[in-house]
Amino acid sequence: MARVELHRIHKLYPGVLALDDVDLAIESGEFFTLLGPSGCGKTTMLRTVAGFTRQDSGEVRVAGERIDAVPAHRRNIGMVFQDYAIFPHLTVGENVAFGLVNRGRPRQEIDRRVAHALDLVRLGGYAARLPHQLSGGQQQRVGLARAVVIEPQILLMDEPLSNLDAKLRVELRDDIRDLQRSLGITTIYVTHDQEEALAISDRIGVMQGGRVHQVGTPWEIYAKPKTLFVASFVGAMNVIEGVALGDGGSLSLGIVPCRAPMLAGRRRVTIAVRPEDTRLAGADGDVAGNALVLEGVVDKVAFAGREAFYRVQLDEGAQVQAHVQRPEPRSLERPGARVRLNLPLARLHWFDPPTGTRIEAAT
Amino acid sequence: MSRRSRLDFWSGVLIVALAVVVLLMLLPLYRIFAASLIDNRSGVLTLANFTQILGRPAYEAALVNSLIVGAGGMVGATLLGIPLAALTTRFSIAGRDLLATLAVLALVSPPFIGAYAWIMMLGSNGWLRALLGEVGIGLPPIYGMFGILLVFSLKFYPFVFLLTSSGLGAISPSLEEAAESLGAGPWRRFFKVTLPLVLPAVSSGALLAFVLSIADFGTPSIVGGQVRLLATTAFDLFTAEMGGNPGLASATSVVLIAISMAVVVLQRWAVRRRDVAGSLIRRPSTRRLGPVASVAAHVACYAIVLAGALPSLVIIVTSFRKTRGPVFHPGFGVDSYARILGEVPQVIANSFTYSTVAVAMIVVFGTLIGYVLSRRDTMASGVLDGVLLIPYIVPGVVMGLAFAVTFNVPPLQITGTAAIIVLMLFVRRLPYTVRSSAAILKQIKGGIEEAAIILGAPPWRAFVKVTLPLMLPGVIAGALMSFITAINELSSSLILYVGRTMTMPVRIYLSVLDGEFGTASALSTILLVATGIAVFAVFRISDRKESAFI
Repeated sequence: MARVELHRIHKLYPGVLALDDVDLAIESGEFFTLLGPSGCGKTTMLRTVAGFTRQDSGEVRVAGERIDAVPAHRRNIGMVFQDYAIFPHLTVGENVAFGLVNRGRPRQEIDRRVAHALDLVRLGGYAARLPHQLSGGQQQRVGLARAVVIEPQILLMDEPLSNLDAKLRVELRDDIRDLQRSLGITTIYVTHDQEEALAISDRIGVMQGGRVHQVGTPWEIYAKPKTLFVASFVGAMNVIEGVALGDGGSLSLGIVPCRAPMLAGRRRVTIAVRPEDTRLAGADGDVAGNALVLEGVVDKVAFAGREAFYRVQLDEGAQVQAHVQRPEPRSLERPGARVRLNLPLARLHWFDPPTGTRIEAAT
Repeated sequence: MSRRSRLDFWSGVLIVALAVVVLLMLLPLYRIFAASLIDNRSGVLTLANFTQILGRPAYEAALVNSLIVGAGGMVGATLLGIPLAALTTRFSIAGRDLLATLAVLALVSPPFIGAYAWIMMLGSNGWLRALLGEVGIGLPPIYGMFGILLVFSLKFYPFVFLLTSSGLGAISPSLEEAAESLGAGPWRRFFKVTLPLVLPAVSSGALLAFVLSIADFGTPSIVGGQVRLLATTAFDLFTAEMGGNPGLASATSVVLIAISMAVVVLQRWAVRRRDVAGSLIRRPSTRRLGPVASVAAHVACYAIVLAGALPSLVIIVTSFRKTRGPVFHPGFGVDSYARILGEVPQVIANSFTYSTVAVAMIVVFGTLIGYVLSRRDTMASGVLDGVLLIPYIVPGVVMGLAFAVTFNVPPLQITGTAAIIVLMLFVRRLPYTVRSSAAILKQIKGGIEEAAIILGAPPWRAFVKVTLPLMLPGVIAGALMSFITAINELSSSLILYVGRTMTMPVRIYLSVLDGEFGTASALSTILLVATGIAVFAVFRISDRKESAFI
């Protein structure tokens, strides 16, 4: 249990800027996720904390102490690997005991702690098995037990669920979360799966191109994305780029006049809206107040039981995804039908076109 | 700190490896190349040695004969190997493991043993020839080109067989079914789908047969009669009593290397776009044959492998025949063994000592170099990887000659010592172990070492506790393989030996030339038993993978 501080971490690989002066602070006992597409620098960041990658400049502090010069094997960090990295020539018990043996703990204590750790991951009674007799999910549970049994200051997880099938992924995800809560270990978790990140984390840092775009709770990341990148990467998002603005922030879009005061003085804006925030109506449907109202033609419909997904080709040119909750037979418009889309202004996200940064609505 | 010292250790390994390679591979080969371009008497730079090979009928014949032997050995091995592979992988043949084991035994037994066993059967006084003569089948003695090709075909077919079998085993049946559903008949399916997919495997086996056929020295000199080849010519030119001809011997060697290299390049080019590694969800299954076809298939399979294994059986039986001096008497006994233990215990001891020392060196160097090559990607390791291909294409005779001319002058004067023979065995087999351990390491994920480190093990401890145990089965199997080839090495030892450093293969060769078949058979049996034990051990370790022997 320790606070982790990363201060101006810089790492340049030949031709690739992996980490561009990254600053992060992870609170004691927090479950912190680094989220981003492959090559964004999240794994480099994790391996820098572990001690497998040496940063070009910057400081790593754990519980206030600089650990940059400490070799990986003396850092007292637990790590869970994407490919499990279970030692195939050792039994489950020996795998879990490995770190305790390195620390020279007495035999009795090792046996007790190994048994306890295996119970924690619901693998009690598996100590004598060899790894190849275990399923992928069980192997990763061994990896988890092996990492926490040494009572590390921090726990690092490098896409631990990406080699598992969907059902196991959700199951083990919940187990990891429960275990982390009950032990209270400061945890840094790396994933490219935004759904996983939202479900499991206390806070998320969204990374791209070696930079952290936004740090926040899952709700903040999803509902108030700070950049267009975060908006598009986390969850589904419709983006309408380069919308021209008139005097006082009036939009050149929609069948009824529409104005956003905080856009006054700008010439263009990028509008983003989540599919679930759109209201789909027939061609003669209501025109909602305080909303951007667009018209178009249904291009595609996919019915998925409790919801339906529409793709609408707008008259203005862009395509927009719309979700309809609990669709009724009569509300199912066919491809080719003209429709009207209401986008409540309060649900719209506004971004500055060249920088992609969020324009906050005046409150 | 530990990071830096680790860097230094592996850099040190790289430097030592490069030094070994320069001293034991590049320098000797450079000496051969240089000698081939220099006139023996005047010492001036000349191409005369090469024009002689192409100009004088005797040398030209040797060149042509070598090409015939290479092509013939390759064709023979392919004609035996492909049908055997196709039958055993596609149809249910009883005793598939037995067939594969016999093929492996034929593969690992030294070729000169096969040569003289066939002479005992089909030579001028061969018992099989006499037997066939009595029933009215008159055969000429097998000396000459026919004998060479017979021995090579039966000796090298296992390469084609084993490689093609694993190639066929890796083709998903869905591919053939897809071709069928798209309207391809059986023949079209075979030529358009199956054959192209298995071609890299077949051609690798065929290539090996070609290169080993032209490189082999023992077989043509025992069974070749008047047929001269490049390998035997180079040997004779170098060792001739009346002042050899090092220039011409070297030029002959260079031509041999050039042919091997050309064949390797040709094979690489032929299979350049054919990466057949695909995901294999369904394993190919075997089909049952009708009764007539089944009998025919079994006869064909067993005829091939038994013919391949026959020489070894003949040798073992012969070693227990009663002898007085070089003459066989009716009945069985252990006279030949008594004789070799009395006369040449030193030879037996030499063989085991040299091979063991060479293998120990190979294991240490091969494992360390393999680790460097697989975990570090620098220019030096790239160069090393390329240079280590040399022993694959340089015949033993040539390497022996190169060692003899390089290490007979101070400060590197070691000719006539046991060291030169051990170093030769070491350098000839080192690349195989380097490659196999690099391949093993590629399968051990790097993350597993990191897992050990993050759990508190210092890097050396992570290597010893995790990496090494995982490498060990592969390393031991590789060591046994090296032992098999080391203890059976003839051609280079024949050039480098002196009386007190004689090895078993050399003694067998000399005994055969003197007509002492009893002595030769007893020594050969010891070699076969040692080899057989090593094969058994490899099978135990490597989970019965016949491909481990290639």
